[in-house]
Amino acid sequence: MSIITTTNINLYYGDKQAIKDINMDIEKNEITALIGPSGCGKSTFLRILNRMNDTITNCKITGEVIFDNINIYDSKIDPMLIRKKIGMVFQKPNPFPLSIYDNIAYAPKYHGKKKGELDEIVENSLMAAALWDEVKDRLNKSALSLSGGQQQRLCIARTIALNPEVILMDEATSALDPISTYKIEDLLNELKKTYTVVIVTHNMQQASRIADKTAFFLYGDLIEYDLTSNIFTNPKNKETADYVSGYFG
Amino acid sequence: MKVGLKEFLFGPVWDSANEPPKYGILAFILASFGSSFLTVLFAVPISILVAVAIGQLLPSAVGTVLRSIISLLAGIPSVIYGFMGLVFVVPFVQRVFNLSSGLTMVSAVIVLIIMTLPTIISVSETSINSVDKSYLEAAYSLGVRKEYALFTIIIPAAKSGIMAAVQLGIGRAIGETMAVIMVAGNIPQMPSMLKPVRFLTTAIVTEMSYATEQTRGVLIGIGLVLFVFIFIINSVFRFLIKKAGMIHG
Repeated sequence: MSIITTTNINLYYGDKQAIKDINMDIEKNEITALIGPSGCGKSTFLRILNRMNDTITNCKITGEVIFDNINIYDSKIDPMLIRKKIGMVFQKPNPFPLSIYDNIAYAPKYHGKKKGELDEIVENSLMAAALWDEVKDRLNKSALSLSGGQQQRLCIARTIALNPEVILMDEATSALDPISTYKIEDLLNELKKTYTVVIVTHNMQQASRIADKTAFFLYGDLIEYDLTSNIFTNPKNKETADYVSGYFG
Repeated sequence: MKVGLKEFLFGPVWDSANEPPKYGILAFILASFGSSFLTVLFAVPISILVAVAIGQLLPSAVGTVLRSIISLLAGIPSVIYGFMGLVFVVPFVQRVFNLSSGLTMVSAVIVLIIMTLPTIISVSETSINSVDKSYLEAAYSLGVRKEYALFTIIIPAAKSGIMAAVQLGIGRAIGETMAVIMVAGNIPQMPSMLKPVRFLTTAIVTEMSYATEQTRGVLIGIGLVLFVFIFIINSVFRFLIKKAGMIHG
């Protein structure tokens, strides 16, 4: 069952078209990987899915993104509510300069959760992000005192705290060491039971390790979108074959 | 005749022309501190709001225009502010409070607020704008509105820079002479908001030109007091800024 469907999505930065007519179904409770060389539009496309591109001036988007049977680009939709349901984790870990506890509690508090519920949300989110055991004794310490890998899992926990339906990850492991990366990949396999995960990655091994489906982007076009095993072992398109076998990119 | 430190610092009466003269500067100290404190109390919140508006909320073209106006205001000589105060603020205060003369401490405070705004605004704006942009992005991705994120994450993260701005503002307020001598009435008496007052700075400048030997020494003593106070205030702020900087790495 698909949770997000994009129909004829185009995106322009000024006159330049960065995303060209993309139609894509993202399956529920799966990990979908977006791969492609730098500048191919995969991160831009990811940011279309929760309206993060709204903050960029001079950026125009046409087409539809259907999520939960609504078009999130409908003028009546509040993008803030969309982002609450479709969370995002960024390339560089960006915990707030607050305590570990406050990082997790920040958004739930903003969205109206009562003080009494926060302890439980914090604990559950940190557990879900496999960080609880490492930080449970120092929840009041600054989040900036954590290591890079821990910070990134904290950011994942912060996203989980809102109980979203989809988690978007924009090269979320590219700034991390191999062990932290492995921990996060492990975590994603766990998270997809509850959430739908879409990742952008430069690391093709990562896509082949964890993604159920993989989409290959090139110059703003969606070249090929299929089961990960097909993309990596039996691509239909020559450009995909060249990219996954390392001829360019 | 020698002047004791205690009666110098804590003596309530200044009467240098009398025989024997009285050299108590408590009234000046209280006037200087009171007016600086009130200035900062009002100028800082206004400045932070303006800085946030210019740097974060208004369209960048409007921000650029306002920024250049503010840096122009920061460069205007204080005698001009004093003159403007005399023409606009003093009659205004006289009318509003129904006084026989508008030459009062409150007029001085109003002029000081206006004078210190440009400095505090531009320094705090710089520090607010230099806060890591990824905090805002993280807040968006959690469905949190920009205004809320600015006041809960960005401004606290810019704390050390804002404190440096406040330090500059206090320095300017406590050291200001020309503008306040023109609007404060310059009468040596215990400070009260709706009465004319004399400050540490204006006490020196008022009598220096005709001071005889002993009075001259006392006036230099006032200068020393001013210096010591500024030194203490700056040390306290240095400590606070260092502490704030340490929290946010």
